[in-house]
Amino acid sequence: MVSSPQKFNKILVANRGEIAVRIMRSAQELGLKVVSVYEETDKDAYHIMRADEAVCLGPGPCRDYLNIARIIEAAQETGAQAIHPGYGFLSENPDFPEACANAGLVFIGPPPEVIRNLGSKVVARQMALETGLPVIPATPRLPADMEGEQQALSFAARYGYPLMIKAVSGGGGRGIRQVFDEKGLLAGLKQSRAEAMLSFGNDEIYLEKCISCPRHVEVQILADTHGNVVHLGTRNCSIQRRHQKLLEIAPAGLEPEVNSAICQTAVRLAREAGYLNAGTVEFLVGPEGEFYFLEVNTRIQVEHTVTEVVTGLDLVREQLCIAQGKPISFSQNQVVERGYAIQVRINAEDPKNNFLGSPGVVQVYRSSGGPGVRLDGAIYQGYEVSRHYDSLLVKLTVYGFTWEETVQRLGRALKGFLIIGVKTTIPYFQQIVNDPDFKQMNFDTSYIDTHPQLLDYREEEREVDKIARLIAEINAHGRNPYA
Amino acid sequence: MTERITRDMTPSEILAKLREASGYYLCNNERDVSQSDFKSRLMPLTTVRVAPYREAVGFFSVEVSGGATVHVDLLRKQVNPFDRLRIARKAMPKTLLQTVCRGASLFGYRHYPENVIRLTVRQFAKYVDVWRVYDFLNHIPNMIPVFEEVQKAGKLLMPSICFATGEEHTDAYYVRKVKEILAVTGPEVIISIKNYAGLGTPKRLSRLVKAIRSACPDVILHYHGCNTDGNDIGRMTAAVLTGVKICDVADHGYGAVYGQAPALTLIQTLEDYGRQAVGLDMDALIQSSNLLRQELKIYEPFESPFRGHDPTVAQYKLTGGAVGSAFEQADQGGFLERMPEILQEMAKVLVELGNWWSVTPGSQIIWTTAVNNILYGRYERPSLDLKNLLLGRYGPLPFYEPENWIFEKVLEYQRTDGKKWHRILYDEGGLIKPADAHLNQERQRLQAQLDRPISDEDLVLYLLFPFDALAFFKFVARYGKTWLLPPEIWFRRGGFKTGERLSFADERGVPHSIEIISTRREGASHLTTLLVDQYYQTINVKV
Repeated sequence: MVSSPQKFNKILVANRGEIAVRIMRSAQELGLKVVSVYEETDKDAYHIMRADEAVCLGPGPCRDYLNIARIIEAAQETGAQAIHPGYGFLSENPDFPEACANAGLVFIGPPPEVIRNLGSKVVARQMALETGLPVIPATPRLPADMEGEQQALSFAARYGYPLMIKAVSGGGGRGIRQVFDEKGLLAGLKQSRAEAMLSFGNDEIYLEKCISCPRHVEVQILADTHGNVVHLGTRNCSIQRRHQKLLEIAPAGLEPEVNSAICQTAVRLAREAGYLNAGTVEFLVGPEGEFYFLEVNTRIQVEHTVTEVVTGLDLVREQLCIAQGKPISFSQNQVVERGYAIQVRINAEDPKNNFLGSPGVVQVYRSSGGPGVRLDGAIYQGYEVSRHYDSLLVKLTVYGFTWEETVQRLGRALKGFLIIGVKTTIPYFQQIVNDPDFKQMNFDTSYIDTHPQLLDYREEEREVDKIARLIAEINAHGRNPYA
Repeated sequence: MTERITRDMTPSEILAKLREASGYYLCNNERDVSQSDFKSRLMPLTTVRVAPYREAVGFFSVEVSGGATVHVDLLRKQVNPFDRLRIARKAMPKTLLQTVCRGASLFGYRHYPENVIRLTVRQFAKYVDVWRVYDFLNHIPNMIPVFEEVQKAGKLLMPSICFATGEEHTDAYYVRKVKEILAVTGPEVIISIKNYAGLGTPKRLSRLVKAIRSACPDVILHYHGCNTDGNDIGRMTAAVLTGVKICDVADHGYGAVYGQAPALTLIQTLEDYGRQAVGLDMDALIQSSNLLRQELKIYEPFESPFRGHDPTVAQYKLTGGAVGSAFEQADQGGFLERMPEILQEMAKVLVELGNWWSVTPGSQIIWTTAVNNILYGRYERPSLDLKNLLLGRYGPLPFYEPENWIFEKVLEYQRTDGKKWHRILYDEGGLIKPADAHLNQERQRLQAQLDRPISDEDLVLYLLFPFDALAFFKFVARYGKTWLLPPEIWFRRGGFKTGERLSFADERGVPHSIEIISTRREGASHLTTLLVDQYYQTINVKV
């Protein structure tokens, strides 16, 4: 059953953290009431304070945010007529929109069958092929036996190494492995299958030709129930660590003809797929501008802010309107990308310790600001970053009329933060800002691996904060133990 | 004021100015006053507070570095000795900054390898304009690498002769030493008479100055004396009247007991003899003391447990810089009441060991030997330093050698090979120059310990005091430049009151404040909530 568009005046945000707050902002601007949900282990989260109402889903951690029945129940208890899934958690689980529809609730996103089809990399790929989209040569699902190995080996013989092993249900960078020779391939097949089973409950895998040093480019699309499909330009998400995006840029900086072709391709696929609401079509772009379809993300993306900044449009607002059956509020030719935007994810992580999470209490939080700076966050002074949830503290998005101005602004904006209590990715981004390749927009998906010197930094602590430590020591000991 | 000597002058210009001056100049020896009267605890911000007045006074120089200060800065004040110099330079841009260096022992207590000596002098010479250099045995070769590096750096060299009293301490001896120095350095230096313990009468000093001036008429003389016996004004007056051009003095508002005598008293005394202090602003001199009197309460806890002058120093001859710390050690060691006995023993030991100069590192040898003699029996527990002294590791003894029984007690102490003292002396005696340090290896070692790039200044501090410098660097990494705090906070006793607000400026002049919001205990945890600038922080200290 598919939920039909209908008017609503109260929504439930089935998510937490910054994206929940982001959704609430647009919803409240439209005059909608917002219900937040939370787990007991997350009861101090900022998104709860921003909502009009709040419902505790259960003790947590994490499992209750994934409990479809309980979320539907919360919507019904509070009288919410629609549910926005945000990103992560249940956002790409087709059972969720289906359950919403069954409960008479509007799901603010694509229909379940679209999520189901496009969520499967193999189905999406097949759809792309049928639509005439350029796709990276790949095998179908590989059988989990000798035959699967044989298919893999003959594919390798045809296209050569390196190759990518991917999980059919993979996403967010998980379930991907690069192999460089036959030995690695045969071992990788077994490992990837086991990992896929563990991560996604589905051990299906396939093999794909590896495009060396590509740029990761994605196209933002919107589709409504009136048959309109528009794109909002490109984003460059090449700077990734282990296939997880660290920094995103809009527009992607492609040659105009490549840019136009890639955007048209994305719109064509969306139309063919019967897409609805906001989504992202991802591509790999080779050094000569050749591009290959990668996958579709059937949700709002973390990095949607850069598109909003350069187009001046509110994607979540459009999502809410589309879900109410309204047409997209602008036409394709009204979409203008102006200048550049860069988003960085300021996470509570220690880059020097393999980006390991850095849970703890945010003792001090001073945000950045000034011209061309946008913040999407959900932390505050005294907030405890839990090891149970995403380590994202705040997304910093900067805008500049030129690339140079945008990079300089990013550097300045990063300096404007003061976060004490947890380690963050800020010093790592400061290294990127000062890197000559980045300044010249010269990067691809190998950037992090080929720039290990980015980790050669020293964290700077304010002198006054160090001195405060001594004051506390003098206070505790009744004398200065170092005098 | 036109006669004032300033930092923009070359050493030659300064020496020319001194030669033609009809009056005399004064050096404010802040460093020695701090060391002698307040156990070297003077904090850089006190220097900064008084600096505008000192700069206006027009001293020949201000001694802000050297002696024990370098070590105590690291050990007790967590101040980078180079920062101290940078701070003083910024606060007194015109005034020459002075240091005192213990020859091959630099700012420490043992002879360093020559490459360490040269590197250290090069680094400190970036900030220090005037180098007072001495050797506690007046063994001139021990000072040559320092002399050479100071002159290479284009700084003003002030080689010293350590002065004491006794029948061996003749004018002829000291004149010979001055000539030995001049033969090495050339004439473009200032010779300093280092009367480290404030010994001799004004008459004796007058005779010595005359003897030197008669033998070396062109030499410019500086006098550095301590006021332990309360009579350094008399000695300085005599010295200036017979030809000394520069004297080390103190502020009357700060110390002036075991350190230098007060400037104003000397000026007033010499005025009566028609001698003028060149280019001095008297108002600024008085204002300096007025301000320092306010600071005194911060440093009072570091004054000697025995207050006031001690004319008996004429017997025990301990350097003024060690008097206060000797009393402190006696107090902490629980033998303060035996100090009169120990001081008598010091006098005896000094004579027995050769009647040389009881100034660092010799003063430590005399002190330790005297204390051990009193506590454990005479020469029953000789220190390693005393053994090294008798072996000639510091250089030859200048006048005579100790009696054989002392050699026997000291050199055969804890020997397991059965060797007799004369054999030990024959086999192991003599001045052995330490081998050059592996500077690159040491740099890498320190870099690995601190996990950061190492500057030459860092390396120098590490080479001088490996353990204490390392602890200091780790302290700074954790607590920052705490000398930015007012000294009264650094030496605070009894914690802070709720609502107390501490204000200070950082190196860029940006003001900061830390307010004590609350204090609470949870078992061994002591939680202090602070308002640091505009932000609340709770800091947990395990007690």
